[in-house]
Amino acid sequence: MKNLTDEELMILVSNGDLDMMSVLFDRYHVKIFNFLLKMTRERDVSQDITQEVFYKALKYRTSYKKGKFSSWIYTIARNIFSDHYQSQKNKEQRLDEIGYKIEREEIYQLEKDEIKEQLNKALAQLNQSDRELVIMNRYQGIKYQELAEITGSTAGAVKTKVHRAIHKLKDHYQQIV
Amino acid sequence: MSCKKTQELIIDYLDGNLDQKEQQIVSAHLTTCISCQKSLQELQLIFDGIDQDPEELPDASMKVNFEEMLQKEKETLSDSKIVSLQKNTKNSWRTILQIAATIALILSAYYLGKQQNNQSISQEIAVLEKEKVQLKQEVTISLIENKSASKRLQAVNYAEEFEKPGNEILKALINKMFYDDQINVRLAAAEALTKFSDLEMVRKALVHALEIEQDPGMQIELIQILVSIEEKRAVPSMEKLLQNEETPNYVKDQVTIGLPSLI
Repeated sequence: MKNLTDEELMILVSNGDLDMMSVLFDRYHVKIFNFLLKMTRERDVSQDITQEVFYKALKYRTSYKKGKFSSWIYTIARNIFSDHYQSQKNKEQRLDEIGYKIEREEIYQLEKDEIKEQLNKALAQLNQSDRELVIMNRYQGIKYQELAEITGSTAGAVKTKVHRAIHKLKDHYQQIV
Repeated sequence: MSCKKTQELIIDYLDGNLDQKEQQIVSAHLTTCISCQKSLQELQLIFDGIDQDPEELPDASMKVNFEEMLQKEKETLSDSKIVSLQKNTKNSWRTILQIAATIALILSAYYLGKQQNNQSISQEIAVLEKEKVQLKQEVTISLIENKSASKRLQAVNYAEEFEKPGNEILKALINKMFYDDQINVRLAAAEALTKFSDLEMVRKALVHALEIEQDPGMQIELIQILVSIEEKRAVPSMEKLLQNEETPNYVKDQVTIGLPSLI
């Protein structure tokens, strides 16, 4: 089963062989976790969302339609993140939670090396769409074509968007340093 | 090449995604443009920073939590399987009942058929038996008129076998008893008629036979028969035989022995 492709494994899962999801979890959960970690910059939240991603992948296994598995799982991750982001935005309206969040961010950043710190700050200044494109393309190495599948766009349009986002990131980074 | 155009290609330049011609053009511009060189260096720094950013590992509890969740999901799946199995069980019960009904139908059809068959067979047998009896009677009647004495004797023996012989048989037997040329046939006929002595027609014939009989052997036979069937109407004939001087002594002795049981 270790030799099977992601897609073959997922077909088995959708046909009721749920144990195969364990193999897919091993292959993808670190990637998804890191994607979310970059997006949220919160370890616990990222772990929770990653957990939810695989829970939903399992629950909605029959909705998997033989496309690229990685696109599918990232799509799920993005959707859950968006839901989380929306509710998070609502929470941020409350002043006491904002103070708590800033404190946590600072603790988080203190643990990291300087460039990474600054890059994370620069990333945080990008809007959500640009941020996730940079993370998926530059951090996670997802190709334009697959990004297009995940975001529901074309490879050319995605490439242009990614390049613009990288230039924005560069500008934010320069401002920080 | 303009700076704007270079900025558009600079990421692909770093990624090595440009063809040779584009690569050379960008390189040529970069050697002359300090602003674009700076931009290239900044991007390279960022890309290096990203590449050096190590992937973080989630807590080990994630895997544990996932396996727990997977187990629960499998249970709900097997729960639904149990439901479907129960359905199957119902179905199999239905199937068993269907099979049982089919077997019952086949068996009942078989026995019904067999019974009908038995009825028709016994009907056929009854018809055949009837035909056989009729045939035997016809054979008996025709044989009884045969020239051969032995055939006539055989016919008399046949006639004796009938449980309820027809009037034709009885008439034929009586006729043989009275008039057959052979004493053996007449004796056999008389003996056969004894069997049907509960019939008035036979009794009268036997009484009448003794009245007119001349043969001593036949007279003895008739006396024995009439005594055994306790036919009182034979008494006058017997007394007549005793009084007749021509009657042989052994016939008179037979009458003397038999007569008291009749009176």
